[in-house]
Amino acid sequence: MPAPRRFRICCLVVAALAVLFVPGGFTPLHAQTPTVVHYWLWLDDPTAPMFDSLVKEFNASHPGIKVEYQLVPLSEYHDKVVTALAAGSGPDAGRFKDWWLGEFVKLNALEPLTPLIGKWPGRAEIIENLWETGKIMSSGPVFMLPHQFITFYLYYRKDWFAAAGLKPPTTFDDFLVAAKKLTDPTKNQYGFGLRGGAGGQDQWLAFFSAAGGRLVDGQGKVILNNEQGVKANQWYIDLFRTLKVAPPSAPTDAYAQCLGAFQAGTTAMFAHHVGSSVMVTQKPGADSVGVVPIPAADPKKPATMVTMAGNVVFAGSKQKEAAFTFISWLSEANATDKWSSSREGQLPSVKSVSKLPRYTNNPFFKVSLDSANFAIAWPPLPGVGYVSAQGWQANMQRALVGQISSKDMLDEIARALQR
Amino acid sequence: MRSPGRFSAEAKGRHGRGGTWVLPLFLLSPALALLLGVVAYPICRAVWLSFHHFEILRPDLSQFVGLDHYRDLLTDPVLRIALANSGLWVAGVVCFQFLGGLIGALILNQRFPGRAAIRGLALIPWATPSVLVALMWTWMLDGNYGLVNDLLVKAKILSRFQPWLAQPWSALPGVILADVWQGVPFFAVMLLAALQAIPEDLFEAARIDGASPGRVLRHVTLPLLLPTILLTVMLRVIWTANYMDLIMIMTGGGPGYSSLTVPLYAYYTAYKRLDFGSGATIAIVQVLVLAAVMVFYLRQLRKNEVMVQ
Amino acid sequence: MRRLVAAGKLWIPLGAWLSFVLAPYGWMFITSIKPPTELYTKTVQYWPHHPAFEGYRLLMQTTPFLGYMRNSGVVALSTCAVALCAATAAAYCFSRIPFKGKGILLFGFLLTQLFPSVLLVLPLFLIMRSLGILNTPPALILAHSTFAVPFSTWLLTGFFNAIPRELDEAATIDGCTRLQAFRYVLLPLSAPGVAAAVTYIFIYSWNEFLYALTFTADLRARTLPVGLQTFMGEYIIRWDLLTAGGVITALPIVIFFMLVQRHLIAGLTAGAVKG
Repeated sequence: MPAPRRFRICCLVVAALAVLFVPGGFTPLHAQTPTVVHYWLWLDDPTAPMFDSLVKEFNASHPGIKVEYQLVPLSEYHDKVVTALAAGSGPDAGRFKDWWLGEFVKLNALEPLTPLIGKWPGRAEIIENLWETGKIMSSGPVFMLPHQFITFYLYYRKDWFAAAGLKPPTTFDDFLVAAKKLTDPTKNQYGFGLRGGAGGQDQWLAFFSAAGGRLVDGQGKVILNNEQGVKANQWYIDLFRTLKVAPPSAPTDAYAQCLGAFQAGTTAMFAHHVGSSVMVTQKPGADSVGVVPIPAADPKKPATMVTMAGNVVFAGSKQKEAAFTFISWLSEANATDKWSSSREGQLPSVKSVSKLPRYTNNPFFKVSLDSANFAIAWPPLPGVGYVSAQGWQANMQRALVGQISSKDMLDEIARALQR
Repeated sequence: MRSPGRFSAEAKGRHGRGGTWVLPLFLLSPALALLLGVVAYPICRAVWLSFHHFEILRPDLSQFVGLDHYRDLLTDPVLRIALANSGLWVAGVVCFQFLGGLIGALILNQRFPGRAAIRGLALIPWATPSVLVALMWTWMLDGNYGLVNDLLVKAKILSRFQPWLAQPWSALPGVILADVWQGVPFFAVMLLAALQAIPEDLFEAARIDGASPGRVLRHVTLPLLLPTILLTVMLRVIWTANYMDLIMIMTGGGPGYSSLTVPLYAYYTAYKRLDFGSGATIAIVQVLVLAAVMVFYLRQLRKNEVMVQ
Repeated sequence: MRRLVAAGKLWIPLGAWLSFVLAPYGWMFITSIKPPTELYTKTVQYWPHHPAFEGYRLLMQTTPFLGYMRNSGVVALSTCAVALCAATAAAYCFSRIPFKGKGILLFGFLLTQLFPSVLLVLPLFLIMRSLGILNTPPALILAHSTFAVPFSTWLLTGFFNAIPRELDEAATIDGCTRLQAFRYVLLPLSAPGVAAAVTYIFIYSWNEFLYALTFTADLRARTLPVGLQTFMGEYIIRWDLLTAGGVITALPIVIFFMLVQRHLIAGLTAGAVKG
């Protein structure tokens, strides 16, 4: 009796295999004449048609070049690029984080773009100090073309602050007063959403810098574990350990938890950037949310952190000129504006775009762009990739749960940065 | 595919001289082709890497370092933490998955209306992609608005919400819970299949002899399930030891190193530090431990004559 | 009354077990019908005020979800076919044919399972590229079959061993060829084992993530787990799409198993035949 059934299953499988081979979908769909540029990126929201329409627009206006793109989830992006490059079949160009610059340049994996930039008319339009985010040394070549960047600011609950008679925090003192006043564990409410989990290093760097700590000195020497750094870091750790103004879940809270806590009304303040501005205006709502630059220990020395998502051309590419044509087109006014004004938009690197009313009238973009003047980036050291992926997180968490001291934590990170 | 004629010809051939190799080779060839063709090289490569300093994008710079990576690991405190965590992780996960699966198999083996549908539904945890298992459990265990906390507080078991995944003592158990959930149906299905292969008359005989259900379970069911139990448990131990998707998303090994397991440590070392030599070595340390466990286990199997020969 | 007790004995444990197994999935479903503003609330909300199926609509209309699903189906079914053929043949050999080095070989099969896949993926990528099948379903079918064969082989070997050798020998004496004895005696009797192996292979392939991510680039071959991961952006996590996708992803497997599980009772007939 089971035999016919077995054959029915066999038939099903054969039919499935037939479906597999009929559409002939296996042959790569390369067009014959135009130069094909393979471009990889991650996107915040894959349902948004923004990027796809940009590529169509580019392909239509550049008949000699055909861009084929691949969407890779951000969490796997770095690893997949490493695997593909190691196998010799990486993309021609790709979206890139400044975190990874040091390690990839050390491996000779990125093409110096300076000669190509020299021939590119759009170069004068890029906000001047952003070029630094794409370099290893100020005097050296540019490896990453600036595109979309963010600077950290502070969200606060306008309604709660008003009700408690607090003013928007501009100094650490204001910040601490507000954080303590708005913390009430019995109501599951905390002053500040500290992010100790994945990706928290950017928020930490913003406060570490605002507290007077620096990762490297003018010569690029790692100094984060000096006395001032240890003190700045201790201040941050104490928010959780001694002052307890952050939720108990802070050590492993990542972006989703921190945003969720702010939206749910668990936290009164939350440091982030324009990437979440649409979400917080949906909930708790535009009327309840205020935004200020990251408060500073010394109001005369404000600081925050900036991180750039730019574009690179990989050294192994055979289509470097065509690849650069595409990524430089992305950094021109038209494409930058379309990207920045989309739902996943970040700050535009193009001067004329950043002055458009749609950005200057938006309080979140305004505070961010103003903060860019005193923002500090991760230094392009080879160890930054590792520190941002795991090194910071593991050691910050050990410090937050009291397993190591502020000094131990910074020593470990200093060692990892210098590898 | 295979004609009966050819088959029987070979069957006869086995009596001839040298023929003993032909049929096994023929039958094993598809499996061997896959294993040798696909995984043999990657495994050799991993072993090779563990003896080399390897710059991932600059293979020209790689050099033979002998046992250096192994020596470094001997004094690595993080590896020791990771090994201990891995031990707890494997033991906790496999134990509870097995118990949950056994109970499930015994329940689903009964006759009741809607059995087909319920058996299908029982498979859901196994059928849910790991990324969602991790996200849902992270959310349910959340310290601020998690379902688990809410239920425990409502049931008056807890007085206040606990940040399960943010405390060193509870982070790994939290991830273990998620993996137990995901893995219970695997054991349920495997044991259900094995239960079905037991002839019904054996149970009847035991029942007629007046054995209580507990005694039937102990003296009839479990012994007959033993081959399947031993095999599935052994494989589950190996898979669980190497499984890191849930840990990576739920805690990233944290807080600190309190839920860092060996494969996750190997992964971070290889892909985040870009030190593939050390990464491969960490993995091979675990392979050696697992292989030792496996050899011991298979010896026991053979001694008890529950498996092949 | 006795009937009620019997029913209670069945349904109470069944209910308890099922609620553990289904609750997180149920929670995922509830999450999927929560509108974005009700996702994060200070007190846990067990049912949304305004249930919305918007997530499912967006999933179907604005993402290539169905394309991912088709790829997953093609890969999982083909993997089942390939791996099951290879494993059945090997298991028959291990169970019924005496030859030297069997123990070592069986052990060797398991060795392939000992390595974490993250360390094998790079050399595997090189193999797939040299075969010219990157970004096509065969790359995944090949990889998944390879890693599914060892356990399937062991499992089936166990089931074959449990069937008395005399049964197929008797069939051979009655004039059956080896293949006939296999098909009409051994295979039907071990149907539960085959069903269990098929389930294992199918689910393994359906949910496998790392190889699917590394060997595929786009809709030509990309499968569900990788597609779902793209809904987790850097600053936007599409809970609606993720949870809706998660709810739907599990369904084909449930249906698949509802069909396959009928074979789990074939063992009963086996007992009857033997008796």
